[in-house]
Amino acid sequence: MHKGFKTTLYHIILWIVALIFFAPVFWIILSAFKTKDQILSIPPKWFFTPTLANFVDLFTRPNVGTYIRNSLLISAIAVLIALVVSFLAAYAFSRFKLKSTSLIMFFLLSIRMVPAAASVIPVFLMYVALGWKDTYPGMTLFYAMFSIPFSVWILKGFVDGVSERFDETGLVNGGSRLHVLFDVVLPQVRPGLVAAFIFNMVFVWNEYMFNYIIGGKTTTTVPVALVTWMLNQGGVDWTFMASLTVVFMIPPILAVYFFQKYLLIGMTFGTVRGEI
Amino acid sequence: MENVSALQRTAGKKPWHKKLMDGFDNSNLFPYCLIIPVLLFFIIWNLIPTLWMIGMSFYNYAFTTGAPEKFNGISNLIDIMNNDTVWGNLGRTFTWVLATTGIETVLGILLAFLFWNSAKLPGRRLALTLLFTPMLIAPASVGAFFKLLYEPDFGVINYLLSLFGIAKINFLGDLKWAFPAVTLVDVWMWTPFMILITLAALGSVPKAELEAAEIDRLPWTKRLVHIIWPYGKFVLMLGILLRTIDSFKTMDLIFMLTRGGPGNTTELVAIGLYRKAFEGFTMGWSSTLAVILLFIAIAFTSVYLYILNLSNAEKE
Amino acid sequence: MNKQNLFKIAGLIMVFSMLLTACGTPATPAPAAAEPAKAVEPTKAPEAAAPAEAAKPTEAAAAEAAPAAADHPLKGQKIEMSILGIGGWVPSRLGVDMSPLFAEYAKKNYGYDVTFTFQEAPFSDLFQKANASLLTKSQEYNIIISDSQWLGAFAEEKAIVNISDLIKTNPEFDVKWVSPVVADAYQVYPDGSGIKWGLPEEGDVVVLYVRQDMFSDPKNIADYKAKYNADLPQTFEDWEKVDMDTFKNISEFFTRKDQGLYGTAYQYSKVYDFMTMFLYPFMFSTGGDIWDPKDGKIFGILNSDINAKAMEANREMLKYQPEGALQYDIAAIVDAFTQGKVATAFQWAAEGSAMIPDALKGKVLVVPPPAFKQADGSLKRVYSVGGQPWVINAYNDDAHMRVALDFLKWWYLPETQLEYAKRGGNPTDAATVNAAGFEDIQPWFKAYKYMMTSEHTRDFWHEPTYSTMLSTQQEGFTAYASGQVNDAKNTLDWIACEQQKIQFEAGRTKIEPDASCKNIKLDK
Repeated sequence: MHKGFKTTLYHIILWIVALIFFAPVFWIILSAFKTKDQILSIPPKWFFTPTLANFVDLFTRPNVGTYIRNSLLISAIAVLIALVVSFLAAYAFSRFKLKSTSLIMFFLLSIRMVPAAASVIPVFLMYVALGWKDTYPGMTLFYAMFSIPFSVWILKGFVDGVSERFDETGLVNGGSRLHVLFDVVLPQVRPGLVAAFIFNMVFVWNEYMFNYIIGGKTTTTVPVALVTWMLNQGGVDWTFMASLTVVFMIPPILAVYFFQKYLLIGMTFGTVRGEI
Repeated sequence: MENVSALQRTAGKKPWHKKLMDGFDNSNLFPYCLIIPVLLFFIIWNLIPTLWMIGMSFYNYAFTTGAPEKFNGISNLIDIMNNDTVWGNLGRTFTWVLATTGIETVLGILLAFLFWNSAKLPGRRLALTLLFTPMLIAPASVGAFFKLLYEPDFGVINYLLSLFGIAKINFLGDLKWAFPAVTLVDVWMWTPFMILITLAALGSVPKAELEAAEIDRLPWTKRLVHIIWPYGKFVLMLGILLRTIDSFKTMDLIFMLTRGGPGNTTELVAIGLYRKAFEGFTMGWSSTLAVILLFIAIAFTSVYLYILNLSNAEKE
Repeated sequence: MNKQNLFKIAGLIMVFSMLLTACGTPATPAPAAAEPAKAVEPTKAPEAAAPAEAAKPTEAAAAEAAPAAADHPLKGQKIEMSILGIGGWVPSRLGVDMSPLFAEYAKKNYGYDVTFTFQEAPFSDLFQKANASLLTKSQEYNIIISDSQWLGAFAEEKAIVNISDLIKTNPEFDVKWVSPVVADAYQVYPDGSGIKWGLPEEGDVVVLYVRQDMFSDPKNIADYKAKYNADLPQTFEDWEKVDMDTFKNISEFFTRKDQGLYGTAYQYSKVYDFMTMFLYPFMFSTGGDIWDPKDGKIFGILNSDINAKAMEANREMLKYQPEGALQYDIAAIVDAFTQGKVATAFQWAAEGSAMIPDALKGKVLVVPPPAFKQADGSLKRVYSVGGQPWVINAYNDDAHMRVALDFLKWWYLPETQLEYAKRGGNPTDAATVNAAGFEDIQPWFKAYKYMMTSEHTRDFWHEPTYSTMLSTQQEGFTAYASGQVNDAKNTLDWIACEQQKIQFEAGRTKIEPDASCKNIKLDK
């Protein structure tokens, strides 16, 4: 009985912690169902008649559909390209112990550390010269590049964890190397792939500045739309901000909900040994 | 078992393309073929632009003046070296990195230990999802909404404080409060990431050893030092590294919250650089600063990798 | 250009190598192996797109476009125009909201179909967006609603059409404006040169919005009389005579923190030019200046004692404003005023329809902002000019250039301007503004017309370096307003040094930064 009470208390505390972190998000979600006056009113309105008008307004605006589609396409394709490229590289680094491995891994990581404003300058200069600005390939491949470093790191950890005996057996049995790569090793690093996918997807999904500078009107993604359309009739358009934010947060939240186990295992960089 | 079935599939494979692949497979070039895509990305989107940027850093060049680029040697560098604003921003950025990463790490580790062994928590998957949501939301949105939350007249935070009789605080406009207020938003956003990483790190600890420790009734401190730390540190350090990286780069969030104000109390180096590069379009000067930041980034990364390698070496 | 070739070669190498890498894949049936091939595909597109993008006709198109309604060259065609405008800015939005009217007009008079798409960004970010696009010689945006200070940068980059040249072949654009300040602010660069680059989209000045329901409350009138032995201003004419000393009394009178009410609101935000625009009136109206456009001298003009006093006076006003005022931007003032937190507010005339929503109709009086008393006892008010010009993308192809000109000609038709005024925009042409009954169209038009003269309003630099100069002084001004630094003169010294340096290094002036600048720091 006493132990049961302690467990319940422990569980309640856990839920409280989770809800504290969620509270501001909850407030944003509530706002999406309020009118502007209700959003700004103090004391805050906890009880109100929810309205769907904001969402109706959102989807009747021109271009919002395009922005969401851009966000989905650009981030998904960029991260997929990055995963394929990174998986090949991770396999090579893990299996063939190339001399340059640590050097390349190192450079990959330090690139990711440079402030966005710094890394976008040369790319901007290059895109201006080549006319790649505001093109889907230009945008997608740039984001792919940004997703590669972390993906290589995480996948190398997982490929390291796959015994080389599988490779050998596969080759001995007459499979090609690519067959070993994609049919034998790939399925075993799935958690790493999922984790890398979600992690990078969240980054690209929410990224603002690169899209603002090297994107343009055809490749605008939602974060840029949020900032550029946030003002209306002389005030911040809170209802638009709230409703678009809510729509926009659904995919990553669903991904984290459904792939949570993979995500937790994935973030171990392939070193999982215990229970998560 | 998945792995076994994969092997069986291999065994049954018809080698109709085997001859074609043989040359490829046995060639020494195979590993290099695998890394060519990554190298191409690296060369086209990093190496060439970076070299270009380094070249540009020796020029006086602003798009907006319409004048052609003019070689001016290292005078950009000298200017930056003597520029108080840049150094002020850099100093503030280090404080920022230290404060945010530090708080997030400590808080993240503590909360992760709380959530460790919570397998029986009812609705655990949902609870963890809710816990992780802050880091899933676009910084642009977070910035805009926290600006409203912090607002003295329309903000919920000041309202909640007023319930406890605390006078209105202009969080983002007040000199003393602006930096902590912005830090708090970052902590809210990214502590969940450190929780996630720490949970993963704890997952790296073999269950058997923990059970053995439980049977031996090993005290907590010893379990931490002898079992959890040696196994978990690799992932944890990598997590801290990633956090440091992102914290060093922070920009969207502060841009939305304060634009570096009031005065320059929340101005970070990335924001200052952005201004010069994409408000002033002074490409020469900005390239120089970008190169400097690149070197700082490489230095940071080296230190971390050195520590990581040390811990790896110890493990082996 | 050499660099360009270098990158073309690099791009080709990449495509080839990618194909090489992919060479192993077609032979294998593994499903996932198809993916490297996918990675190759997108890289080809820009290769093909690049040369096409490079060859673009330029200003030539502007010159040859002459009005010929009878057989318009675009007759029967469908054109899509793209306008880049300022987010959340009513007048800028109106330009697009009214575009269907032009489409009708064009269909009827010229026989072509035109649709408009609208892109926008807030003031603070629009220049980056526009300039980053124009630098690629792109016609992503055919017409841009620019802020007046950007003319210099766009003009130097030759990214926009020279309106002076255009007027030679299209006399319709030689419109008579309501005041010379219109041309100075929205058209001319370099200052004083007379060369025109923009066409006014909207005229704008700082005006004072007054909550007349509070001011005409008998209790307030009596209390004010008792406290200051003076009458609360009630009419436009009363406000014409109000100086800053009186205004301080009024602001003090309405500052009632316990009721959540404050006297007034200025902008102090660090974003873009927000604080600058509301600090300059203190300088301009007391005899201060910011630079000499002839020789580019800043140090010695900006950092005067008059300007230092002006900064002190501006900071002093904070005590009659809500706590959040240090973060106030255009939108925050709208919220504070419409939610009844302030009795008066300094705000752009362009925000009229947002400042006076339906709930406040009839309760708001819009008046000239307070004057400053001069040494000889006379009153003087010089406030910042706002507003934006249209600028035309010089990289437009012939068809888009033609439509852009047709559109702008339509824009200055008297009936278009009248419609614009009725929808809440501020026209700038003399015919519309001076017409009888203009002042009654919108509640703020009387104050707008009063202020929109060279006597009462002025702009600041149109230099190509404006954004760097601006962010420098925004940092200095907000540092002082927030109390991060407390020496106004030193703050101005620092700003003047930095700006002089920016101008000197950009080759805009021959005057070097002063020798004393080495020792001047913002937070000394």
